[in-house]
Amino acid sequence: MVFSTPIFFFYFLVLTLLLYYLVPRRGRNVVLLCSSLLFYYWGERTYVLIMFLSTAIDFTHGLLVDRYKKRGNDKAARRTVASSIIFNLALLFFFKYWDFIASSLQAVGLGFMPVLGTHLPIGISFYTFQTMSYTIDVYRGDARAQRSILNFGTFVALFPQLIAGPIIKYKDLGDQIDERTCSTEKFASGVQVFMVGMAKKVLIANNVGMLWEAYKAMAPGELTVAGAWLGVLAFTFQIYFDFSGYSDMAVGLGRMLGFEFLPNFNYPYISRSITEFWRRWHISLSTWFREYLYIPLGGNRCSKPRWAFNLFVVWAATGIWHGASWNYLMWGLYFFALLMLEKFFLLRRLERAPALVGHIYTLFLVLVSWAIFALEDFNQLTAYLKVMFGLGGVPLADAFFGYSLISYLPILCVAALASAPLGKSLFLRLPQRAAQVSGAVLILAGLILCTAYLVDGTYNPFLYWNF
Amino acid sequence: MTKGYSRFLTILFCAFIGGVLLISTLLPDKDFSPLENRVLQSPPKLTLENLQNGKFMEQAEDYASDHIVGRDFWVALKAWSERLSGKRENNGVYFAADDTLISRVEDPDMDKLNKDMGYLDTLVGNVNVPVYFGLIPTAACIWADKLPAGAPSADQQSTIDQLYFSTGASTIDLITPLMEHKEEEIFYRTDHHWTSLGAYYGANALLQAMGMEPLDLANYTKTTVTDQFYGTLFSSSGVRWLAPDHIDTYISGEGITVTSYPSGSPVQTQLYDESYLDQKDKYSYFLGGVQGLRVIHTQQEDAPKVLLIRDSYSDSLAPFLTQRFSEIHLFDLRYNATSVKTYVEENDIDAVAVLYSFSNFISDQNLGLMAR
Repeated sequence: MVFSTPIFFFYFLVLTLLLYYLVPRRGRNVVLLCSSLLFYYWGERTYVLIMFLSTAIDFTHGLLVDRYKKRGNDKAARRTVASSIIFNLALLFFFKYWDFIASSLQAVGLGFMPVLGTHLPIGISFYTFQTMSYTIDVYRGDARAQRSILNFGTFVALFPQLIAGPIIKYKDLGDQIDERTCSTEKFASGVQVFMVGMAKKVLIANNVGMLWEAYKAMAPGELTVAGAWLGVLAFTFQIYFDFSGYSDMAVGLGRMLGFEFLPNFNYPYISRSITEFWRRWHISLSTWFREYLYIPLGGNRCSKPRWAFNLFVVWAATGIWHGASWNYLMWGLYFFALLMLEKFFLLRRLERAPALVGHIYTLFLVLVSWAIFALEDFNQLTAYLKVMFGLGGVPLADAFFGYSLISYLPILCVAALASAPLGKSLFLRLPQRAAQVSGAVLILAGLILCTAYLVDGTYNPFLYWNF
Repeated sequence: MTKGYSRFLTILFCAFIGGVLLISTLLPDKDFSPLENRVLQSPPKLTLENLQNGKFMEQAEDYASDHIVGRDFWVALKAWSERLSGKRENNGVYFAADDTLISRVEDPDMDKLNKDMGYLDTLVGNVNVPVYFGLIPTAACIWADKLPAGAPSADQQSTIDQLYFSTGASTIDLITPLMEHKEEEIFYRTDHHWTSLGAYYGANALLQAMGMEPLDLANYTKTTVTDQFYGTLFSSSGVRWLAPDHIDTYISGEGITVTSYPSGSPVQTQLYDESYLDQKDKYSYFLGGVQGLRVIHTQQEDAPKVLLIRDSYSDSLAPFLTQRFSEIHLFDLRYNATSVKTYVEENDIDAVAVLYSFSNFISDQNLGLMAR
């Protein structure tokens, strides 16, 4: 089930909240676990069993690690952590990467792995990372082992963050799973964040997404230079408002249920360098890779070549995490190359240059990166990039470009404004009374408009099915 | 955030989503939306099979969206909001000039079309009467200058030229006469069909292709049967700010008998079905809506018999044909799997015309039945 549907908003959410607040405090995790399982079962049906399996195995691994540690048997504890990591990666490898590797090998004439046509269970990349980090955290002493399988199951399946993140580490949430407070203030601030997220997804992302779909569907000969850039710009806004919209909705739903999740996006498009961009984009993923891959590899406390190697591994992994396809790997390595350039000499210069230079530099490179990200077919990608850089032998613009620009200019302007913290800082500067009135009006308007777009939702994609 | 304000926001949010759920559940279910002109999703059936194959979830999602309180309001609000945000289309319908709605036509799948043209040629070989083939261009082609500048729509002219070039059937040029009269009201503003006036030009194109005498509109009087017609494009676009269309007729239904076969056995019906004028779907005034087979007997007893393999555009065309044929057989492949070859032989048909609007022809999946 996805958040931006009438069935979630008016049925699932209403009934879940109702039950959640009607049952005694002790029963709340049961309500959450059951509703989360229903939420997952709704879209993935029997694949919910994989989540059960993952939950059960990591739960026992966590207890074992804890027991070995208490007995002072570090070797056994380490072995248990390794077993948990192997299990999670094997799960991820089988469901997500087997077919990709098999078909890549077949393409070069090595047919020893059959292509199985496995369905990729939604959210598997999110929950395997979460459960994997749990055993590591228990080993590192960053989290206490969870004694109740019910509570652990609630952590894994927690529906607000189940299918599109943010990636929540057990050490950040464990205590809240056991004990959390619900209050009207928390609920109301959850409503605010949720509605911002819903508006981002339904009113902006879906809207500009249609523009990108139109350009994506074109043969290279039908494109124009300006059109190709407009298309990528539309995707740039679509992916940000869709993804950060989902994260906001997750944070908002979490607060309505008494949880506090860490923020996942922080206005990435105002960055002045790629390094800064990755501090602001999908924060939970980059933090995860830093804590569980980059630092264990040795981070930057090593020789320069080793450091570069560590970064290479992290960015290759980041790329391929987003989908089992070559373009995602390219996308990750593209950022690896840029980050290396910045670390070795560009960053210092960017910091001294006027702010505008940094903004233009970053946005340009980010736009190009989204073309690599959005086009899985390599031939289509190269043709599209050629057109963007004027090498496609196509006109600069055509009538369709004019039509698209006029149709989408207002929403693109709204998207551009909403990508910067301007609106938020203006809102925060309002006197209390004015902020309250405008806040309530905006929420009501958001409820009404979003409902209209949910009911007549002709285009409402879920972008993370291959994550 | 103060306590009071938090309470207010919480109540606002919960009352909205809870209220929508409560009222939607309490309201009696409608089976059909007259405004949108479509059957709504019935309540999903909870069975093990439906759960396992995901049908239950699909139906439940459609059900939740179809039966939400104030659905018509939400649909209209979205169309308004799209318009105000600078869009010139909604749900594939363009907000064209002169208060006209025009449906976008997607680029056709040439493989499918080539296959269908093969079926047409099989039909030509199957019967020993002449077979005519006509594709009716839609408003997106004839009224292209009313579309928003640069709005994409398939190039109907070139596709039609291409298909006509390769077929063994005798072709009917419908683009030229409609283009000549494009300043007139030949399509509805809120519906995808041609008007009776458009159908009149179409009828003459057909008659000319068959080498028969064309009709002269001056011999007939125009009757406006309703001026409250909101068509299919009104429904699908969500656009609610336009004035209604009017439906005209030129031919009287007197002396004409119509036999319909709604479920296999014959029923006597009429050229015009008055009962539809009180409903949303007023275009079905012409011959009473879709049916697998309908036979019109006219007073021109010595005239030839024609079989039309048709879509709904032929319903408003048929009245004009009553002036030149003794029998008009309207054959809808979607609801009629009889062999065309046998039908032509058994009913002494003198000519077959395969007549479709461009957008229906490129999307119809039943054209293979022609070759039977």
